[in-house]
Amino acid sequence: MSDTVQAAPDTKAANTLVPVTVLTGFLGAGKTTLLNHILTAEHGRKYAVVVNEFGELGVDNDLVVDADEEVFEMNNGCICCTVRGDLIRILGNLMKRRARFDGIIVETTGLADPAPVAQTFFVDEDVRGKTRLDAVVTVVDAYNVLQTLEESPEAVNQIAFADVIILNKVDLVDEAGLEAIEKRIRSINSVCRLHRAKRGDVPLSDVLDQGGFDLQRALEHAPNFLEDTSHSHEADVTSMSFEVEEPLDAAKFQAWIGAVLQEQGADILRAKGILNYAGEDQRFAFQAVHMMADGGFIGPWKKDEPHVSRLVFIGRNLNRPQLRRGFESCRAK
Amino acid sequence: MNDTMPPSLLERRGAQRQLEGQITGCAIARDSQQVAFATAEGDVMVAARADWGRSDAWDVQTVHDGAVLSIAPDAAPTGFLTGGDDNSLRRIAADGSVSELAKGRRWIEHITTWANDKGGVIAFAAGKQVELRDAAGRDTLKVLEHPSTVSGIVFDAKGKRIAASHYNGASMWFVQAKVDTPRQLEWKGSHIGIAIHPAGEALVTSMQESELHGWRLADGHNMRMSGYPTKVQSMAFTRNGKWLVTSGADTIVMWPFFGGGPMGKPPAEAGGIPGIMCTRVACHPVHDIVAAGFADGAVLMVDTNAQRLLPVSMAGEGAVTALAFSPDGCALAFGTEDGRAAVIDLSAK
Repeated sequence: MSDTVQAAPDTKAANTLVPVTVLTGFLGAGKTTLLNHILTAEHGRKYAVVVNEFGELGVDNDLVVDADEEVFEMNNGCICCTVRGDLIRILGNLMKRRARFDGIIVETTGLADPAPVAQTFFVDEDVRGKTRLDAVVTVVDAYNVLQTLEESPEAVNQIAFADVIILNKVDLVDEAGLEAIEKRIRSINSVCRLHRAKRGDVPLSDVLDQGGFDLQRALEHAPNFLEDTSHSHEADVTSMSFEVEEPLDAAKFQAWIGAVLQEQGADILRAKGILNYAGEDQRFAFQAVHMMADGGFIGPWKKDEPHVSRLVFIGRNLNRPQLRRGFESCRAK
Repeated sequence: MNDTMPPSLLERRGAQRQLEGQITGCAIARDSQQVAFATAEGDVMVAARADWGRSDAWDVQTVHDGAVLSIAPDAAPTGFLTGGDDNSLRRIAADGSVSELAKGRRWIEHITTWANDKGGVIAFAAGKQVELRDAAGRDTLKVLEHPSTVSGIVFDAKGKRIAASHYNGASMWFVQAKVDTPRQLEWKGSHIGIAIHPAGEALVTSMQESELHGWRLADGHNMRMSGYPTKVQSMAFTRNGKWLVTSGADTIVMWPFFGGGPMGKPPAEAGGIPGIMCTRVACHPVHDIVAAGFADGAVLMVDTNAQRLLPVSMAGEGAVTALAFSPDGCALAFGTEDGRAAVIDLSAK
């Protein structure tokens, strides 16, 4: 799949796609509290919710679906391409009565790897045709997070995959502690939006309608100095971001990124980019989960905005000089 | 379409009606006297044979609190069974009365029934379980457990076995067995639909990877049928088992199940609409005729011998999501994503 960088639906179609928010977080981090907060808040919007532990939800919602997190491996040559088949089925059925809700929230179990959920949105034609992954939101328990990250690769993956991180229970940790936690989170994922909360009490504008595909905002959060490269050992998940000021050759970029994802897709958890293709007046947004990639034009550059191509990788065993040289070799001649 | 086009079969011999919400399925009673359409809004519309030509007489009622996900003819000669995302299995009798047969904790996504002169069996799938009931629908005969959510169920022609598709293959169970041990037909991946050869020669599943997988039941030999641009959501064997007809391409795809096929044989392409995907197929119970519905709402019939093509309905707005022939072959019914429901009377006049 990596060699097929598929075009995303155009902007007009994207507006009619139902946004799906994926809610992850370790056991006890406060996912259910946040979910209840979203469902009870006065926002005039209705959400269908896919949960995995029935009965925990404190609110009455006739659009709650119980799922079993059934993951399978695609036979498509991608060794790491696992997909949530149950989600394909459930989203397909929910979309039959699309008028009843404004968005869908998918809650995962505490120990779940977010990759299969995210990949579901790349793999299935029907899911792609009717929904869009708005954001992966990860709830983190500030009090336990540093220890959890040491002990659990799943927790690291949940942070690596996040578009938005809700740092919850911040009242249990002092300011210095919070800064250390945020630095650690940024060392894994430099491009997520990070919000502090006490009991999941975040403004919903921080969680919903994040427009996950409009990576511009996300990448604005990715200045290089946040990348802590001083003492990370090889196997740690880190973020690396790259910039090229000259316009890129679209074919060269696709060939290069295709090869990178094919060879290192198992280690690359996520990749995102806003690209300036030579001869195009629109920005091209690119994103990948392991070996699955897609992209599309997302409208013109803002006024006064430098036409710089930026690309971020989040993963393990990333070779910075090699990735930089590769990205730079995609310049249009 | 130009003005010289002859009127479609729907205009000449059918009637249609616009409903609220997507048509999620249609079924025709075993006695061929009533057609039923189910919607995502929980409604079921029934058209009695005398009224096939006048859609204002068709009767609509709300049967489920939520979407109707599955509909099948009842095991009795008359009536229908429906399953919903309200986790309920309901029966609609010929007089329109509704009763609840089961209520569980999972969506009821698949229902199938089998019947002959002596009796019948009802099967429905909810989550990983397939429950078998007697024809009356009140007594549970058995509950069959599967390793993952069941994506399709089918009885063999004699009603002796039932097969269910799920992750990594399919399970075949004997309906009357004292001890329930399924025959496991294994193939890695997500299987999303199922069909059985009318003479029990093969079991075929549709896969997430836009291909079909089959098992020759005599020896478990694997068959692979690939080349589709999209997932195959609908498949049906012709009455004599010669062809497996499927959706999933912009032509009607027919795999030969004779002369050593489908292994090593290319499928026949029985006409279609260039660039428009086929979404539903149905095989006529008496003649060598196939009906196909498309993503633009068009419906065609094709003679599998002469490959003659007959337009049933012109394109509309939404894709065809439901399609069925009546058991006596005298009616074709279809429904679309945008709520169009139609019946065409095929009987000699």
